[in-house]
Amino acid sequence: MVSPIHIITISLGIAFALGIFGNLPKKISAIIMLIAIGAITFISAQWAYALYFGNAETTQIFTAGFKPPYSINLQMGIYEAFFSLLINIIGLLGGIYLFNTLVKQGKNAIIVFLILIMGLNVIVLTQDIFNLFVFLEVQSIATAGLIVLHKNKDSISSGFKYMLATGIIAGLLLIGIIFSYYFTGSLNIADIINANIGLSKGGAVAVFLILIAIVLELKPFPANGWAIDVYQSVKPGFAAIISAGSASAAFFVLYKILPIVPENFYNVISALGIITFIGSNLIGIKQTNTNRLLGYSSIGQMGLLITILGLSPYLGDKLTFIAFAILISHYLAKAGLFWLSGIVKQQNIKNWSNLRKKPVLMVLFGTFIFTLLGFPPFPSFFGKWELIMQLSASGQFIWMALILVGSFIEGIYLFRWFSNSLKSENSKLPEIKISLNKFIPPVIFGVATYGFGYFAGTFVEAAGAINYIPLLFIAFIALIDFLPAWTKNTISIAGVIAYIFYLYPSVEGDLLRQIFLGIFLGGAVITLFSGYYYKGKRLGFYPMALAMFAGLAMLITATNLFEILYGWELMTIGSYFLLIRGKKSLPHGYSYMMFSLGGSYTMMFGFALAFAGFGNLDLQALSGITVYPTLAYSLILIGFMTKTASFGLHIWLPGAHGEAVADIHFMASAILLKAGVFGIILVLLGMGAEAIYAKNILFVLGWIGAISALIGNVAASFQESAKRLLAWSSIGQLGYIVFGLAMMSHLGWTAGLFYTITHFLYKGVLFLIIGGIALKLGTPLMYKMGGLIKKMPFSFIAVLIAIITLAGVPPLVGFAGKWLFYNAIISEGFYFQGVVVLFSGIVAFLYLFRLIHTIFLGQLKDEHRNVKEISVWLLIPVYLLLFAIMIISAKPEFILKPLGNYLISYFPTGALTWNETMVSTALGHWDGYWIMMIVGVMFVILLAWLIITNAKAQKVKQFNMVYAAERPFRPETTHMAHNMFAGYNKALGFLIAPYVTNFWNWISNFVYDTAGFVRRIYSGNGQTYVLHIVAYIMVIYFIIF
Amino acid sequence: MDYFNIEYISIVTGFLLILLGLFAILTQKNIIKIVIGFSLFDTGIHIVMVSIGYIRNRTAPILDETVNIKDAANQIVDPVPQALVLTAIIIGLGVTALMLAYVLKLHKEKKSLEIQNFSDLKW
Repeated sequence: MVSPIHIITISLGIAFALGIFGNLPKKISAIIMLIAIGAITFISAQWAYALYFGNAETTQIFTAGFKPPYSINLQMGIYEAFFSLLINIIGLLGGIYLFNTLVKQGKNAIIVFLILIMGLNVIVLTQDIFNLFVFLEVQSIATAGLIVLHKNKDSISSGFKYMLATGIIAGLLLIGIIFSYYFTGSLNIADIINANIGLSKGGAVAVFLILIAIVLELKPFPANGWAIDVYQSVKPGFAAIISAGSASAAFFVLYKILPIVPENFYNVISALGIITFIGSNLIGIKQTNTNRLLGYSSIGQMGLLITILGLSPYLGDKLTFIAFAILISHYLAKAGLFWLSGIVKQQNIKNWSNLRKKPVLMVLFGTFIFTLLGFPPFPSFFGKWELIMQLSASGQFIWMALILVGSFIEGIYLFRWFSNSLKSENSKLPEIKISLNKFIPPVIFGVATYGFGYFAGTFVEAAGAINYIPLLFIAFIALIDFLPAWTKNTISIAGVIAYIFYLYPSVEGDLLRQIFLGIFLGGAVITLFSGYYYKGKRLGFYPMALAMFAGLAMLITATNLFEILYGWELMTIGSYFLLIRGKKSLPHGYSYMMFSLGGSYTMMFGFALAFAGFGNLDLQALSGITVYPTLAYSLILIGFMTKTASFGLHIWLPGAHGEAVADIHFMASAILLKAGVFGIILVLLGMGAEAIYAKNILFVLGWIGAISALIGNVAASFQESAKRLLAWSSIGQLGYIVFGLAMMSHLGWTAGLFYTITHFLYKGVLFLIIGGIALKLGTPLMYKMGGLIKKMPFSFIAVLIAIITLAGVPPLVGFAGKWLFYNAIISEGFYFQGVVVLFSGIVAFLYLFRLIHTIFLGQLKDEHRNVKEISVWLLIPVYLLLFAIMIISAKPEFILKPLGNYLISYFPTGALTWNETMVSTALGHWDGYWIMMIVGVMFVILLAWLIITNAKAQKVKQFNMVYAAERPFRPETTHMAHNMFAGYNKALGFLIAPYVTNFWNWISNFVYDTAGFVRRIYSGNGQTYVLHIVAYIMVIYFIIF
Repeated sequence: MDYFNIEYISIVTGFLLILLGLFAILTQKNIIKIVIGFSLFDTGIHIVMVSIGYIRNRTAPILDETVNIKDAANQIVDPVPQALVLTAIIIGLGVTALMLAYVLKLHKEKKSLEIQNFSDLKW
C-alpha cells in the first residue's frame, strides 16, 4: 500500500511544481491539481478499505526515523483513514465543482486550494500537538487566501474578520501547547494523554486553553460571527468545503484531544455544544439569506456533534456509531445544499421555487433536507435514535430534551425553505442553468445518503427486521416516474396487493392488526384505483403515496418501538408530499409538517423513557413504563394525536385536507388519521387503566376526545367549502374514536374500533364524491353549487347513503355505532362528556344537511348546465364502499362478533351478548337486521306512494318564477348556502373562535421574536467578534475553575 | 523566591505583551493598528515560549565550540521550545502579511481604515 506520507508529498510536490512551472495554461494547472487530489483520495481510500476489513493495522509514520518527542509522528488508523477520505472526497468533488472558478482565479488559487486540502489531511493524521497547531494555521491561511482571491467586497471584509479571529484562537492554542509541553515534556498527544496533566491546577489550565481553542475552531455560538460571515460571503462551492471538510477535520481534532481533557470538563463541553446547537438554529429561524442560513445550520450541527462528544461517557460503545451517523449526514447534506445553492444562485430562500422545474435537483434538495433532519431512511435517523436511547438508558433526560428541541428548531427553518421551494410562485424567476461539473457532485452525495442510510441501518439492532422490499419498490416507481399515471397506477396497485398477500400471514389471528391492515392497505388499493381518473403523468405522486402506505404497513408489522417510529416517519414524509400538492397548500403543508415533526420527537422521547425502564425495545416496553410514566405516556400519546388531529393539535388539518384533491383527501383523512388511532390503541393496551397516572391520562384523553368531537362538528357546520366541512367533520369523528378508546371498557373499545372501520367507509365515499365534484366544478364552495341532483344522480345517492350512515340514524350502520357509544357512556357514567358528545352528534345533522342540500338540491347554476357525472373511476370505489356499508348495516355481527371476542381478552366484562341477530347490553338491546328490514320496507312503501301520487304533478321549471323587479348585487350572498347557519353561528360561534390557532401563533411569534433579538449580537464588526471570543473564554474559564 | 530573575521577568513581559496586544485589538478602530496589536500579541506568545524552555546558566542549543558535544544535554537549554518558536514566528509572519494584504484590499474598496465601516454582513 502507498504510505500515507505521500498524501503530503504529492500535494506539496504538485503545489510547488505548479508554482515553479507557473506558466502552464490555467486549465491544465487545475486538471493537474484535481489529479493530485484524486491520487491522495486513492491513498486514503485504500487505507480506509484495508483498515475496515482488517487487512491492515494502524500505522505510525515517524519523520526522519526518530521517535517522539524528537520527531513528528503521523498516524493512519481506521478513523484517520475515514476522515482523510471524507476530506479528500470533498476536495475532489468540490474541486470539480469549483473548476471554472479556480481556472478564472488562476494559478495561486489552484495552489492554495491544494494546500488547504493537504492541511486538512495533516490535521487529521498528525499525532503531534504542535504540528497540529501549524497545520491549523496552514488551513486558516489557505482559507483566508482563497477568500482574498474572491473578487467580492463582502468576502474581503469577512475574510479579515476570519483572520483576526483565527489568529487569536491560534495564539491561545499555542500558549496551551507550550504549557502542556512544560508539564509533560512532550508534544506527542499520546504522551500528553498518559501524563494526565489535567489533575494539577496548572496543567488543567493548559488543557483548558487547548480545549477552548479547538472548540472555538468549531465555531461555537455565540462566539462565531466571524465564521458565519464567511459562509455567507464566499462562493457556495467553497462554503461546501468549509462546512463539510474543514468542520469535519476540526471535529476530529476535538475527538483526538478529548482524552487529554479531565472528566469534569465533559459536562461543560456538552453544554457548549448544546448552546451552539440550539442557539445557532434559533437564529437561523429569522434568516432569509440562503448561505447564511446554511452557515447557521452547519454550526448547529457541529454543536450537536460537540454535545455528543461531551456526552461520550453516557454513550458507551455506541459513541462511534452515533457520531459517525450524524457527521456523515451533515457532511453529505450540507455539502449538497451548498452546491445546490451555487446552482440556483438565489440569495433569498424564498426564490428557490424555480428549482422545481428541475426534478432531479428538487429530489436532491428534499433528500438533503430530510437527511439533515434525521428522517428515515437516512443515516442521521439511526444516529439520533441511538443517541436518544443511550442517553435515556443513562438517565440523561434533560440532554435528550434539549437535543430534540434543537432538532425541532432546525426543522422550522429548513422546512419553511423547502416548502417554499415546492409551492411558491416561480414564473418570474430566471431559469436554472446547470453545467455537468456542478451537477455530478450533488448527485453523488445524494445517492450516497441513501447508501449510508442502508449501511447505518445495519448497525442498529432494532432495525434488523426492517423490510427494504417496499422501499426498493418505491425507488423503482420513482425511476419510472416519466411514464403516464395509469401505468404507474396499475403497477402500484399490483404492488400493494402483492404486499397484502405477503403481509397477511404475519397478522393472522390478530384481529386488531387485520382491521388496520384492511384500512391501510385495502384503503390503498381503493384510493389508488380511483387514481385512474387522473389524465397525465402526476409526477412524484406515486412514490410518495407508496411511501405513506409502506410506512403505515410498517406500523402494523412493527415488533419493536424503533420500527414504529421508522414507519411513522416514512408515512409522515409520504403524506407531507401528498398534502402539499394542493394549489393553496403551502402554509397548511408546512404546519402539518411542524406538528408531525414535533409529534415524532415527543414520541421518540416517550419511547426512550420506556426503553430506559424496560431495557429493550420490544412492544412490551409500552406496558407498565416505570420511568416517569405520566410523562412518557403523555408524550407518546401527544405524538400519536398529532395525526388524529385531536383538540389542541388539530389546527393543521382543515387547511391541509381542505386543499387536497379528491383521492389524496381520502388517503389523508380516512386512512392516514387511523395511524394515530392505531398508535393510541397500542399505548392504551400497554398502559391499562389501573394505575393512578393511567386514570389521570385517560380522564384528560376522554375530554380531549369529547371536545374534539364538539369543536369539529360545530366548525364543520360553519364552513363554506365542502372539503373543509369534511375536514372538520373528520376532527369530530376522530374525537369520538379517541373518546371511545379513553373509556377503557369493552363497550367503549367496541364502539371506538367500530367507528374506526365505519368512518373509513362513509368518509371514503364522501371524500371521493365531494372531491370529484369540486374537481369537476373547479370550486369547493357550496354556495356556488346547487341543483346537481339531476346532473350527478349517482353521486347524490352515494352522498345520501353516506350521510345517513354518518348521522347515525337507523337503519344504516352508523346507528349501531351511536347505539354502542351511548351504551358505553351510560355504563361508564361519563355523563358530562356524554352530554358534550351527544350534543355534537346533533350538531352533525346541521352540516350533513347543508352538504346534501346545497350541493344537490335547489337551483342549478347557469354555468353548470353542461356538467356531467363525476369520473367513473371515482364512482366505482365509491359503490364498492357503499356495498360494504350495506352489508355491515344488515349484518353488523360480521364485525361486532369477532371484535367482541377479540376484546374479551383485554376487557372481560361488559361484553355484548348476541341472540341470533339481536344484540344486548346491560342497558338494552338492538337488532340491526330487523331494523334494516323494517325501515327498508317502510322506505319502499313511501317511495312507491310518492311516485304514484306525483305522477300527475306539474313540474316547475327552473325559471318559472317571479323576481321582485331587481336582482341583488352579489347574488351568491343571498344564496341559502351562503353563511347558512348564521343564527347558530351567533349562538355557538364562540366555541370555534381560533383560540388554539392563536395560541400556536403566539408561540411561533415568540420564537421568531426571540430569534430576532438574539441575532443582534452579530453586529458585523470584526472587533465585536473578537470581544465575543475573549468574553466566551473568560466566562467558561470562570465556570470551570 | 527571587522575582528578579530572567525567566520570571521574561514570562511576565510576554504575558503583558499578550494582554497589550489583545487590548489594542479590542480598542483600536484603525485596522492597521489592529494588525499591529495582533503582532504584539504574537510576539508576547513567542517570548513566553522561549522563557518556558529556558534553564538558568545554560547556553543556546547550538552545537559549536562552547558546547561539549558529549555533555551537550547538560549545557544547553531545552531545544524544543526554541524550535517551536522559530516555526511560530514564521507562521506569525505569514498571518501578519496576509492580514496586511487584506488591509490593502479593504482600503482599496472603501478608502477607509475604520473597522466599523466593514460591517455590511450581519445578523
